[in-house]
Amino acid sequence: MSTVGTVYVVDDDGDLGASVARLLRRHGHAAEPFLDPAPLLAIYRDAPADCIVTDVMMGDLDGFGFADRVRAIDPATAIVFMTAWPTTANAVDSIRRYGGLDYLEKPLDEDRLVAAVMEGVAWSRRRRANLTRTAGLSPRERQVFDLLVCGHPNKVIAAELGLSPKTIEDHRAAIMAKTGAAGLAQLIALAE
Amino acid sequence: MEPTTDCANTVAMTAGAISKVEEAVPMPAVTAAMARGWAWLPAYALGFYVLHQLAAIWGDSGYYSLCYPAAGLRFAVLWRRGARATGWVVLAELIVQLLDGVVAAAGADWPLQAWGIVRPVIGYGIAVGVVQHLAARANGTRFATPPMPLGLAAVLAPFAAVALSLPTVFLRPDITHVATAAELVGSLAAFAVGDLLGVLLLAPPLLWLIETFVQGERLRIVKPRAAMLVEAGVVLTTAFATIWTLGRIGLGHPAAPLLLAITWIGLRFGRAVAWAAILVSAVVVLPRTAGLASLDATLSVHMGLAAVAVVGYLAGSFADADIRARADLARRDRLLFQAERLKTLRAMSVAVIHEISQPLSTLAIEARHLAEISASPLSDPQELHEGAQLIERKTVALATLVRRLRRFGGRAVDDPSPLPVATLLDTVAALVHPEARAAGVTLTIVPGDLDLVVLAQEIELAQAIVNLVRNAVQATADRRVAIVAERLPGEVRIRIVNARRAEDAPSDGMGIGLLVARTIVEAHGGHLHRVDQSSTIAQSLTLPLAEQQS
Repeated sequence: MSTVGTVYVVDDDGDLGASVARLLRRHGHAAEPFLDPAPLLAIYRDAPADCIVTDVMMGDLDGFGFADRVRAIDPATAIVFMTAWPTTANAVDSIRRYGGLDYLEKPLDEDRLVAAVMEGVAWSRRRRANLTRTAGLSPRERQVFDLLVCGHPNKVIAAELGLSPKTIEDHRAAIMAKTGAAGLAQLIALAE
Repeated sequence: MEPTTDCANTVAMTAGAISKVEEAVPMPAVTAAMARGWAWLPAYALGFYVLHQLAAIWGDSGYYSLCYPAAGLRFAVLWRRGARATGWVVLAELIVQLLDGVVAAAGADWPLQAWGIVRPVIGYGIAVGVVQHLAARANGTRFATPPMPLGLAAVLAPFAAVALSLPTVFLRPDITHVATAAELVGSLAAFAVGDLLGVLLLAPPLLWLIETFVQGERLRIVKPRAAMLVEAGVVLTTAFATIWTLGRIGLGHPAAPLLLAITWIGLRFGRAVAWAAILVSAVVVLPRTAGLASLDATLSVHMGLAAVAVVGYLAGSFADADIRARADLARRDRLLFQAERLKTLRAMSVAVIHEISQPLSTLAIEARHLAEISASPLSDPQELHEGAQLIERKTVALATLVRRLRRFGGRAVDDPSPLPVATLLDTVAALVHPEARAAGVTLTIVPGDLDLVVLAQEIELAQAIVNLVRNAVQATADRRVAIVAERLPGEVRIRIVNARRAEDAPSDGMGIGLLVARTIVEAHGGHLHRVDQSSTIAQSLTLPLAEQQS
């Protein structure tokens, strides 16, 4: 799988944003800098990215708020945060609450940035493919899928959803067929 | 007695042999320093002898000669070397008088005669010691601010000497050649007046010479302004003309006009001009007393002159002390302001570090890339050029920020100079920006007309506005702070505006920042006040515009 892709760099310091974008372009990515998250959000649906590198502290909309808005549009893009104000609380939040792939301190460690973006692109590709495979599930099948990947046996899922174990068995077969997964392990990998 | 022998030795050496001794035997440095330290004693003895003889020319017999310049030398030396030198001054005067034959060692009355010589010196020593001691303890008041203690001691020393002579005068009137109580009081008054005139006329220039040439202090010659001299001259001439007119119409020669004139001069122009006016008065008045027939007329004129000298010198000293106290206060304010700036810098330091790490990231990325592509023969010159330009721009921005911060924390305070308000607000914005950014607050700056110029001390005025802006950043309800400069007739108004919170939020500081800001603005001839409106709070400061130089 190729590890170069579309990357957006959002930083209210234009020089830094442009510098990071140029750096990523030199590593083969199609990178574009943005001064302000708002214009990016406006065009994002038509031009989604594999990875977004964003500053945390910006004018009107901060990096975390921006991440929430992007996730609502595209759950498959990887987000890398960077900040000149590193705090432990923000570092934890950026990963746990905002699904960030990494939390980079400024001055930036260039190698780590490049590695994080590559990893992000790869993750995004995988995630996008998985989403495509699970996209055809019906709402009920989605419910069963979500419980299956948590490791629950059929009986428990049946009790949870108020259905018979036989029905669950049927849904499970349909899920396997639609996603092309060969077993529970592959199903869990799809939900990653 | 050990010290006396030492002293005799060193005196002999200072008499001219110092350099030879130093060449022949490598004298320990301590002894050489001691020799230099004692050189004043024989110099004093010689000076005292000369001035004493000088007084005898116009003086009456005995020690009650009017205007006794030797007292001025004695006072100057004691003031310079402190009351501890009293013993050595006593010794020098005794030796001089012994050699001069005033004290006959063989005479029956020699202890009393010797006491007569010793006691004025002791009186002077006590006055100097007490005043210097009290001045050191009462540090900070006007009366303890130089040159006020000197003026007080100069006035008190002759009276202390008179007080010490009282016991002898009562016990052995025969020694002082006075018979009646009236003569006694007259002789004491003459003694006091003569010493007062001698001290006030001679000690100030002597002390000035000692400070300048012996102690090697910076030569302090304040060039008197022409207007000052003219005014002093007119005032003094008017006084003399008044006295002369009064004399012509048979109303005597009262000292009051001169007293008023000299007080005016002293309070207006300080000690140096007051002393010069006293000298002029003495030169005009003293020769005229030679022709006066009676002692009481002479004494009366001298007393008037002494009063003039005392009042004039004290008024001048007070004026100087006042100027100095104000300067001290201003200096202390400056130190306080600097301390407050350092405190502000410390509070802002975290934000500043982050502000610096931002361009550093750009620099690191670009520099590394430049290093990589410049090693390749296929590098694009345009790319190299653009990279280098970006690096330069970032470096300049960083250097400017660091320079501004360093200047802000520095102690050096420039003289007030014309300062465009736009430049001032630019400095303020650069200093406050990191912190505002960290707080997520947007600063809006409206610098007004570009030709708005104030006469200001840039760092301190920037400090005042920085304090106000920082307060606003902490207090704003909508993460916005505006700094707006506007032209008013003859002045500029700078407003720092922020949206008002529903309830008054407690602030971090104790309001020192606001106090300092107000003091600085008022020192610049401006005003600071708070304007509350329903939705906003504004700190509004007005400053006078600098005169347009055409």
